[in-house]
Amino acid sequence: MQSLIEGTWAIIAALSSGDSWMISDALRNPAAYLLGIPVVICGGYLFLLLLKQIPFMDKYFERTVLVGLYLTIATVIFVEVIRRFVFQVQAPWSTTLPPYLFLIMTWVACAANVKTRSHLSFSEFRNFMPRKMQFGCLCLDTILWLTFSVVVVTTTFRQAANSASNFQILLGTDNVLQWWFYIFVPISWLLLSARVLENFSEDIKKLKSGAPLLEQSAIGSE
Amino acid sequence: MTDGNWITLISTGATILFMLGVPIFLVIGFWCMGASLVIGLIFDNIGVALSDIFTDGFALLAMPLFILTGDLINRSGIAKRLAEFAYACLGWMRGGLAMASLAACGLFAAISGSNSATTATIGGMMHPEMVKGGYDERFAAATAASGGTVGIIIPPSIIFIVYGFLLNLPISDLFIGGILPGALMVLGMMVACWIICFINGWGELIRLSVNRVTKTAVGAWLGFFAIGLVLWGIYTGQFSPTEAAGVTVGFCIIVGVLSLPAYKLFGYDRLSKNREIEEKGFGEMLVVEGFRIVEIPGIVMRSAKITGVLAPLIAISVVMQQILSGLGAGEIIREFVTGMGGYYAVLFTSMAIVFIAGMVLESLPNTIILAPILAPIAHSIGVDPVHFAVIFLVGGSIGFITPPYGLNLYVASGVTGVPYFKLLKYTVPYLIALLSVWMMIALIPEISTILLPNR
Repeated sequence: MQSLIEGTWAIIAALSSGDSWMISDALRNPAAYLLGIPVVICGGYLFLLLLKQIPFMDKYFERTVLVGLYLTIATVIFVEVIRRFVFQVQAPWSTTLPPYLFLIMTWVACAANVKTRSHLSFSEFRNFMPRKMQFGCLCLDTILWLTFSVVVVTTTFRQAANSASNFQILLGTDNVLQWWFYIFVPISWLLLSARVLENFSEDIKKLKSGAPLLEQSAIGSE
Repeated sequence: MTDGNWITLISTGATILFMLGVPIFLVIGFWCMGASLVIGLIFDNIGVALSDIFTDGFALLAMPLFILTGDLINRSGIAKRLAEFAYACLGWMRGGLAMASLAACGLFAAISGSNSATTATIGGMMHPEMVKGGYDERFAAATAASGGTVGIIIPPSIIFIVYGFLLNLPISDLFIGGILPGALMVLGMMVACWIICFINGWGELIRLSVNRVTKTAVGAWLGFFAIGLVLWGIYTGQFSPTEAAGVTVGFCIIVGVLSLPAYKLFGYDRLSKNREIEEKGFGEMLVVEGFRIVEIPGIVMRSAKITGVLAPLIAISVVMQQILSGLGAGEIIREFVTGMGGYYAVLFTSMAIVFIAGMVLESLPNTIILAPILAPIAHSIGVDPVHFAVIFLVGGSIGFITPPYGLNLYVASGVTGVPYFKLLKYTVPYLIALLSVWMMIALIPEISTILLPNR
């Protein structure tokens, strides 16, 4: 316990120093997971508050990011293939940048699917359950999402810090660092946590009002 | 307790979570966490895999781009034209519309490289038409789910790319090897579909007309061009599959955006697209309905959300594969298969393993886990590498409609609104047809190898 508390303080101290090597080193301590719990819950809650303060952002944040990234990926590949055919030139980063944009897109899209509850699941038994059990299942979903978020936020933040401490550069570029992209994975998972908390609050309201708790959601629906 | 007992306990827990309706991504995620604790693997492995699977290469990027291609082809009206062509050719038979859906899946698969994208697109488009046409909605959903299985067999195919990468085989050979088996799968499912529709009297018949077939073929020219563009680019080595997907996306956006003004220029509005084929002239058929620029975000968003379901599942499945390797699952399978003996015994044992694995795992992790184990065994007893790749992936593709983890069943259920359990029964005839074709492909290697130029 003592070492966990010390580890937590070491991480906080390293974060406040802003030194990537110190952060990476401090995050190796198992206390990182302990710190991940309040980060996910409070970070998710703060993210949710921010989204609710700006309704436009609440409605269009994921959409803007996803559409922007998707079209950027497609445009880079399309334009560079055409350039290669017509001018026999191709930007060296045109095959290395899109996968990193895909990385960010995937996890923001994952959060968007949490918002609309459109992740694949086997919901047949749940649909036939009594209302209270359905609510219990929704609580279970919330706990599992948040627990997994703690693991992912902690481990992917470690990866971003490690990449930063090694000054890993995006291949094909001179000065674009990989951690600029990696850091969006834990941020996306904080967004996901915000949507999980939002859903849970809606579930409680539905339980109190007597509204149906489960709704069929089609993949790709908005 | 031994490690084996712990893994059994964790797997039971994961099954309970699955049955309770917990998202499959989380079910696999918690299985991975539990198993990692048992074998002493650090959780960082999970975080690294959830990032690095996307950034380690360019090939996986073909998936979201082919999904977007599917949505653009669908929204621009090109997919509808392909389906109309298929219906014009097959509508004179009982169950023509359902068979046209299967044929449309085959044509769409030649542009898209994913099973679930094929099911999502053709299912979303043809299911309402089939229900309107008097088909049982569960059968219509099962048709979309089953038709989608050719998505990864008819080239381009994302999984063929992964397989070729893992086994160091030429991807273009694998693509060529998939052409005839893919066509056979469509044909086999059509026979099953015809029998079911004939027994139930489903579907309205239309007259086979050369004029209608010609007109719809002209109407589908953009689709054929897109198919030709993808195949030409990949086969001639002009671009990689991911670049082919990017080029097709660009092509579809340009065509979609330019088509709408052209369509209006011809004096048609988008409402007229629902008129009968006979009422349309050849000029009208030449241009598709297209879409406005402002519609693009909506189309892209749909694709992004499908990607947001599939990509995380692929990522977490890779973690699962790493853990299974750590548990020595590969060695157990190798000993089991080699202990079977001769050519056919090894071949059919491998097929049984692929089939069973397809029931519980997605095709990508199945390929990553099993292909490097089974393929060398098959090669050592004289099975042609391309032939075995096709056998392996047709089996993996059938896994898309086998419960409990039949991804196409979930996708079809998602896009059509038909509950998962209700469409299961109606996939059985298709499953039988696909298993028969699979057996044929296994027993006749020429189906997979005859088109290969160097054989």
